[in-house]
Amino acid sequence: MPDDQPHEPRWRRYLRFWRPDSAADVSDELRFHLESRAAENLAAGMSAAEARRAAVERFGNVHHVERSLASLTRERETIERRVAWRQVIRQDLRYAVRQLARSPAFTAVAVLTLALGIGANTAIFSAVYSVLLRPLPYAHADRLVDLREGTGQGDWGMNVTMGNYDVWRRRSPQFTALGAYTYAAFTLTGAGAPQRLLGLSVSADYWRALYIPPLVGRYFSAAEDQPGAPNVVVLSYALWSTAFASDRHIVGQTITLSGTPYTVVGVAPAAYALRSNAPELWVPLALTPAQRAEHTDHELTVVGLLREGVAIPDAVRELSAVEHQLAHDYPKAGIDGSIVVHSLRDSVVGAVRPLMLVLFGAVGLVLFIACGNVMNLLLARAAARRKEVAIRSALGAGRKRLVAQLLIESVLLAGLGGVVGVAVAAAGLRALIRLSPPGVPRLFDATLNGPVLLFAAVVALACGIFFGVLPALRATRLNLQQSLREGSRDSTLVVRGSLRAALVVGEVALALVLLVGAGLLVRSAIALQHVNPGFEPHGLLIAGVALPQARYPTDSVRAAGFERIIESIEAVPGVASVALVSRLPIDARGMDCAVWREGMDTNEGSGVDANARSATGNYFATMRTPLLLGRTFTSADVTGAAPVVVINQSLAHWLFGNQNPVGRRIAQCPSGTPKWMQVVGVIGDMHASGLDAPPPNEVYYPLGGLGGSGMSVVIRTALPPASLAPAVRRAVAGVDAELPLSGVATMEEVIARSMATPHFTTTLLVLLGLTGLALAAVGIYGVIAYFVSQRAHEIGVRMALGASRSGVSLMVLRQGLALAGAGVAIGLVASAAATRALAGMIYGVSARDPVTFLAVSGVLVLVAALASLVPAHRATRLDPLEALRGG
Amino acid sequence: MGSASVGLLQGTLDVIVLKTLSWGPMHGFGIARWIQQTTDDALRVEEGSLYPALYRMENRGWVRSQWRITDNHRRAKYYSLTAAGRRQLEAQRTSWSAFSLAMARIMDATRQPA
Repeated sequence: MPDDQPHEPRWRRYLRFWRPDSAADVSDELRFHLESRAAENLAAGMSAAEARRAAVERFGNVHHVERSLASLTRERETIERRVAWRQVIRQDLRYAVRQLARSPAFTAVAVLTLALGIGANTAIFSAVYSVLLRPLPYAHADRLVDLREGTGQGDWGMNVTMGNYDVWRRRSPQFTALGAYTYAAFTLTGAGAPQRLLGLSVSADYWRALYIPPLVGRYFSAAEDQPGAPNVVVLSYALWSTAFASDRHIVGQTITLSGTPYTVVGVAPAAYALRSNAPELWVPLALTPAQRAEHTDHELTVVGLLREGVAIPDAVRELSAVEHQLAHDYPKAGIDGSIVVHSLRDSVVGAVRPLMLVLFGAVGLVLFIACGNVMNLLLARAAARRKEVAIRSALGAGRKRLVAQLLIESVLLAGLGGVVGVAVAAAGLRALIRLSPPGVPRLFDATLNGPVLLFAAVVALACGIFFGVLPALRATRLNLQQSLREGSRDSTLVVRGSLRAALVVGEVALALVLLVGAGLLVRSAIALQHVNPGFEPHGLLIAGVALPQARYPTDSVRAAGFERIIESIEAVPGVASVALVSRLPIDARGMDCAVWREGMDTNEGSGVDANARSATGNYFATMRTPLLLGRTFTSADVTGAAPVVVINQSLAHWLFGNQNPVGRRIAQCPSGTPKWMQVVGVIGDMHASGLDAPPPNEVYYPLGGLGGSGMSVVIRTALPPASLAPAVRRAVAGVDAELPLSGVATMEEVIARSMATPHFTTTLLVLLGLTGLALAAVGIYGVIAYFVSQRAHEIGVRMALGASRSGVSLMVLRQGLALAGAGVAIGLVASAAATRALAGMIYGVSARDPVTFLAVSGVLVLVAALASLVPAHRATRLDPLEALRGG
Repeated sequence: MGSASVGLLQGTLDVIVLKTLSWGPMHGFGIARWIQQTTDDALRVEEGSLYPALYRMENRGWVRSQWRITDNHRRAKYYSLTAAGRRQLEAQRTSWSAFSLAMARIMDATRQPA
């Protein structure tokens, strides 16, 4: 081609031999027009110059027209290119469909493998989206913060005292609203069988901070959030639809909660439920003057809605000044004057983020393994299609075009995998939701929505390109003549083989990482099963019962009520003993408060935190928790003037060392003058805060010693405990027909529930690990089988030369084990790094537990050997003559 | 430039060109000449504006073009109607007839508004 010559456009004409030259076409066309017109003018008698001038005048602005034609031409070229591309893609797609239909076994295996990988990823992503990514349902979700009082110990902070909340609310202009709530349980009567309901006592600002428009009616106002105001209640969607049959006219009517009438003012939408065990109703907090003066009991959860444009640090700085003053004014409140702040989203889902990310990572590894397998299949196919590619290439298809064709085929495969994968995801998600533990918020209403489907589509596309590119490049990088001459014979096996081997090594390494993670969780679960809880959970039935304040107004009436309940249950056949405790071990939250030994300075922070519980005297015997020293409670302790307590071993040791604590005096939560109580007994430690937590310090008070109207009934029986439940319900109904038993369950169920989240994680990781293992095994099998088929000639020669069958078999097996060994080595290194993510989720086992690492490596090598055995066996069945002739 | 060329409506030129091409393939100058002869030079189209109209219609798929040799042995670009162009012309013809009929009724009206 000649060089660019600005004044010489003539060469451009020659370009037309190769491609259309649109600029020249435009000027040619216009010149033709002007010359034709000029010629006509000339014929009409004008002079030559006049004829040209008239032609141009009649034409208009030639430059202008030329410019707009140039732009229209460009537009046209774009359209043509697009049409051409669409045609190419359509053609290639049709070709790809034909190719895939021609080898249905390959297509089915590849699509199913991908469907498994993409489906599992989509299901887990749906969970991740639902739990972590989607915004909280509230109107101003991004401006919501969770506020707690700093204690100077750790950074979790404490709930806020009612008094401090009252001060905060009046002195926090940087917040649009500061809502507060605390849990409250109610008994609903008059709407079907009496039922125990979880409710929230909330300030009016709660609704302003966490606003979602009400479904029916309204939320309550500041005027209704006052002591002495008429009782009002907001129903949850769940309660409204079950107990009140979604009746819109319920608003304005009166319902009975714990014996007291409440007027329903509204129904909150379902979105308020962030967990499966969400609150079922809301009543006003209505702080009394006495509560507003209370500065030691950290009872309220506080949610702040930041004023628009106020940054979190600024808001907190101002609130900290207020808090600092409070810490100074109330030195026994246990606060250090700092504010612990988290975005509300973090405080709702922060705890499960590591869990979700571990699952997401694990399922991603499964997808990589699946892609590795499909890539291996494609590489084998590429080798087999060498001739086809060579012919197409000889017929003039460029490499770009060939690569595009092969890529379209792999993307089509991935697309099919994605479509089937969405079905897999739908089933997987249903299973996920069924398994979902109550500890994971917002998982229960996860769906395959738009963003999730988009994710599936993007993953499928990325997979198609990821596993398609290398095989496509390899299939098209060839020596034309050689391929045509040799037919499908593979003469560069070594290079190609090494990529396939590397893929399998990678798959084994990833599978190892998955299995080590699963193995650690399983080991942790086994360790948890062997934890001695400090009591005998087998043969225990538990239930909650609460005596409504309205009908059981005084301590003595309540004591008599509980007495009658105990007697009625004791009369049930099969019941060995019945005890009451204010707070069950394992799953119940309750008051924790500092304990001092008599003689310690109660003004200093020298006390130790301990659980406070009240219980009947036979509670320890019923639980089969040993009484180590002294005695338990008698009926004289309940009514007696001298306050007594029972403490557990840990607390005894902390307070008294090796001395006998019986007869010594202690005090708990002293505000003002400490109230000293005599220790009468010491019991063994229980894992009262969950099996995975160390036994907490405990102080037991006699029944009624902590006030409160709700107790847990603990029933010991030799029969299967669950079988007693109906009789126990009848017995309690016989005492008071309006007393519902809540949370009737066996103690073993309570323990299982407390481990629901680790159980969930373990189950999923084991499932993913096994999937990864199966896929890796298929990968090893595929590569070794391919190896055997490619080396048939060589094997034949060896056997003809006298190699034994077992020698051949060993040679093949060695190939498989070498791949597995390399994969295990890499996988072990990767695992050592990856399992750090599990550190917070495993109990009683190190994240680099050598037993797990070794056992999993062994399993993988064994599986690799098994996967190689089939092709190894086939190799020994080769007929040497046949192999030599056919090779 | 003639006075009648002023009020040529957007799209009107398209219809004229489509109609012209309905007789058969024609180059741009041929189209201009046909319009000139048919309207007796009453509708003086600024000839340059024909070409953007032709290109635009080609982009829309109403006409296609081809270089051919004229009777005078010159290279010229010939335009012809596509099937889509023919459909377009039919549609335009219908609405133009309706429009011109309505206009004629208004302009020839003898009754004043009630």
